[in-house]
Amino acid sequence: MMTKVREVLLLLLLPAFVPHTDGTRYSLPGKPTEIKCRSPEKETFTCWWKPGSDGGLPTTYALYYRKEGSNVVHECPDYHTAGKNSCFFNKNDTVIWVSYNITVVATNALGKTYSDPVDIDVVYIVKPHPPEKLEVTVMKDQGWPFLRVSWEPPRKADTRSGWITLIYELRVKLEEEESEWENHVAGQQKMFNIFSLRSGGTYLIQVRCKPDHGFWSEWSSTSYVKVPEYLHREKSVWILILVFSAFILLILIWLIHMNSHSLKHCMLPPVPGPKIKGFDKQLLKSGKSDEVFSALVVSDFPPTTSNYEDLLVEYLEVYVPEQQELMVDEGKDHDGCLKSIGSASDSDSGRGSCDSDNLLMDKSGAAKEEQQQQNQEGDQIGTETQGPKEAWEKETMLCANEDVVSPDASSKKVKTWPSVFSPVTPYSLSPLDPHNSLEMHKQNCLSDTQFPPGSPSSDHCIKKALQSSYWEVCFNNNQPYPQTDVHQQLQAHSDRNISAINDGNAPRNLLLPTRMTEYVEVQRVNEENKVLLHPIPSGHTREEACSWVGHGDNYSKVKGVNSDNVLLLQREVVEEESMEMAGAAESCYTSSIAINTPKSTTCSHIALPVQEERVLAVSGYVDTATMFSLDT
Amino acid sequence: MGMTVIQRGVWGLLLWPYILTVSMPLDCKEEPGSLTRCPSISQEKLLDRVIHHAELIYRVSEESCSLFEEMFIPLPLRLQSNQAGFACITKTLPIPSSKSEIEQMSDKWLLHSVLMLVQSWIEPLVYLQTTLDHYDHAPEMLVNKTKWVSEKLVSLEQGVVALIKKMLDEGTFTTTYNEQGLFQYDTLPDMLESVMRDYTLLSCFKKDAHKMETFLKLLKCRQADKYNCA
Repeated sequence: MMTKVREVLLLLLLPAFVPHTDGTRYSLPGKPTEIKCRSPEKETFTCWWKPGSDGGLPTTYALYYRKEGSNVVHECPDYHTAGKNSCFFNKNDTVIWVSYNITVVATNALGKTYSDPVDIDVVYIVKPHPPEKLEVTVMKDQGWPFLRVSWEPPRKADTRSGWITLIYELRVKLEEEESEWENHVAGQQKMFNIFSLRSGGTYLIQVRCKPDHGFWSEWSSTSYVKVPEYLHREKSVWILILVFSAFILLILIWLIHMNSHSLKHCMLPPVPGPKIKGFDKQLLKSGKSDEVFSALVVSDFPPTTSNYEDLLVEYLEVYVPEQQELMVDEGKDHDGCLKSIGSASDSDSGRGSCDSDNLLMDKSGAAKEEQQQQNQEGDQIGTETQGPKEAWEKETMLCANEDVVSPDASSKKVKTWPSVFSPVTPYSLSPLDPHNSLEMHKQNCLSDTQFPPGSPSSDHCIKKALQSSYWEVCFNNNQPYPQTDVHQQLQAHSDRNISAINDGNAPRNLLLPTRMTEYVEVQRVNEENKVLLHPIPSGHTREEACSWVGHGDNYSKVKGVNSDNVLLLQREVVEEESMEMAGAAESCYTSSIAINTPKSTTCSHIALPVQEERVLAVSGYVDTATMFSLDT
Repeated sequence: MGMTVIQRGVWGLLLWPYILTVSMPLDCKEEPGSLTRCPSISQEKLLDRVIHHAELIYRVSEESCSLFEEMFIPLPLRLQSNQAGFACITKTLPIPSSKSEIEQMSDKWLLHSVLMLVQSWIEPLVYLQTTLDHYDHAPEMLVNKTKWVSEKLVSLEQGVVALIKKMLDEGTFTTTYNEQGLFQYDTLPDMLESVMRDYTLLSCFKKDAHKMETFLKLLKCRQADKYNCA
C-alpha cells in the first residue's frame, strides 16, 4: 500500500521536476504577427508571418483563410515553397478581386494562439520582380554620345496580355563619391535614353517597376557603362572662341589707343586754369611768385566806377565776315565754350566745362535791359545819331536773341553782333568782370574770325577779335565794349608792353592781339572830335587777312594825333608765331572783304575821340574807351 | 415615404435618358434608308478608346476612394476590402475572379461581363453624388471626380455596346441588368454606417473598374494575337 502511494507520488512529482531541470517554462505560443502577403504577378501570392515566442515547446503554425462571401475556412495549401513561416497560394487558389481573410495560428503542446486576421485582395498587393535583362549601350548622336538603356519586364509578369500593366523607373549615377542617383520615370516603355553625359565617366544604372496599382519592385542589378572621351571636340570650340575674343579685344585696345587723346578729352575734361585777372601762369611756372602776385595788384584795380561812365559807348557796329560758320566750328572745338580767357593765360579755359552759352544768354538778356538803361542815361559823350543806335539796339536784340538760341546760328553778320554787343552794355554799368568780357570777346572772336582750334589760338582769337572789333566796329562813345575790357586789361597789365605782346610772347596775353589784318582809314573827324574810321577796301588787305600766319599788318598802333585832332594810325607788320593759326589759313576770313563791300552794317562811322598820348603808348591799339574818357 | 417618392421621381428622370441612350451605340445608327452616313470607326480603334475610358475611370475611382478614405474614414476602419457587412453590389454578378477562369472565358463573355458591370454601376454612382452633398466638408475635388466618373461611365457603356455590336454582331441591348435593382436607396440613420456604406460603395466600384479594365485589355490581346495571350 505504502509503496504504491509512493510510486504514484513520484510519478506525479516527476513532471514537476523536469521543467525545473530545463530552466524554462512552458507557455502558450506567442501570437504570430506581421502577416504580409505579396503577389508578384497577380496570379499567385505568398503570405509571410512573424512568429511570436514559441513558449518553450515545439510550435507549429497554420494559416487559415476564408474567402469573402463564404464561410468556408481553408488552410494554406503550401507551406514550403516560399520558405519558412510562409504560405504560398498557387494559381488555382488565387482569386482576384476577392478578399481573403487570413489568420495564422500558432500551436504547441499547451495550446493555440490566433493572430489578428488580415484582409487582403490580391489585386492590391502586387509587387513584381525587378525588370530583367538590363542592357546599356553607348550610342552617338552626331558626335555626342548618349546612353540607351533597355530592359525586359520580369519573367512572370504577364504584361503581354495586358493582365498586368507595369510602369518603369530607372536611376543613374556616376561612379564616384558624393554623386547622387538621378531618377527617371520611363512610363510603360522598356527603353530609355540618357543624354548629357560626362566624357570619360562611368555610370551605374538600375531599373525597377510597379504595377499601376501596387508596390514598387526592388531595384534590378546594376549595370556599368563607360562613356568614351569626346572632350577634344568641345575643347576646340572653346579654343576658337578664345582666339576670336582675344582678337576682338586687341582691336578694341588699338582703337582706344588711337583715340586716346579725344577720349581723354571726353572723359576727363581738362581742368580750367585759374582765371584770375592779372594772373600769369607762365610766371607762376617760372617760379617767380613775386611777379605773379604783383601782377594781380594793379593800381587801377578794381576800377572805379566813375571811369566807367566815361567809357560808355552806346553802340558798336560790328560787321561779321562771311566765314562765320568756320568760326563757329572752331569755336566748337573749344568746346563751344567761351570761357573768357581770363586776364592772362587762358590756354585751356575755352575747353573747360563752361557754360558760356548760358552766360551769353543771361548777358544778352541783361544786355537788352541795360542797353535801354544805358540809352536812357543819355549820351554822356554823345552819339552822333540816335538812329544808328536804335538800329543797333534792334540789331542787338535780334542778335542777342539769336545768340541765345544757339551760337551756331548760321547768320553771319548778325551773329557776331550779340556777342560783341551783349557784353558791352552790362559792362558799361559796372565794373566788368574781366572774365565775362573776355569771354564775350572770345566768342566774338570765334564767331567772326576763323580761328584754328587750339588754346593759344583762342588767345589770339580774342586779341584779333578785339582788334577787329575795334576796327570794324562802329562804336559810339557810349560803348565801352571792347575798350572797356581792353581798358581793364590794359590797366591790369599796365606794365605789359604791348609791343612785347606783339612780338609774340603773347599768346598768353589776351591783350592786344596784333593780328589785325583789316585796314581802316580815318574817314573824318566829326564835329565832336570823333575820329571816324572806315575800313579800307584793298585786295592786299584781303590777302593778309586770309593768311593768318604772321602776316598781320595791323594798325593797332596809333602814330599820333595831328593838329586837327585826327588820329593817325600806324601800320605795323607783325609777325607772330601763329602756328596754331595755320590751320585756319584756308578758312579765309573775309572780314576785310566784308569791310570792302559797302553794307549797311559796315561801320560807316567810327567815333574815335582823340586819345592821349599816354593811352596810346600803353596800348598798341586804339583804346577808344580811354579816348572817350579823355575826350570828356 | 415622401422622400422616397421624390427620390424615385428624380431617379426616374435621371434614368430616363439612359434607357434611350443604352440603345444608342457609340457610332451612328446605321438605319437602312438613312440619308446621312456617319463615319464609322474601326474595331481596333474603338477597342482602344474603350480601354482608355476604362483605365481613366479606374484611376479616377482610385483617387476618389483614397480621398474619401482620408477625409471620412478613421484609421482603424481603413481596409482594402469591404467590411461592416456591406457587400459589393455586384457580388451577385457571375463574374469570374481568377485568372485561369478569365482566360477560359470567351470574348463574348468578357464583353458581356464588362457591360454588366458598367450598367450596374451607373445608378449607384448617381446616388453617390447626391449623398456627397450631405457631407459637411466633402472636398470639391471628390465631388467633381465622382461626377466625372459617373459621366464617363455612361460613355463607356455606349462604347461597350458599340463594341459588342461590332465584334459580336449582336443587336442592341436593353437594360436588362439595370432592372435588377441591385441597389437600395434607403438612407441609414446612423451617420457612421452611412459613411461606411459609401466607403464600401467607392471601394467596390474601384475594384469593378479594375475588372473592366482587365477584361478589356485581355480582349485586346486576344484580338492582336489569339494564341499567345495568356
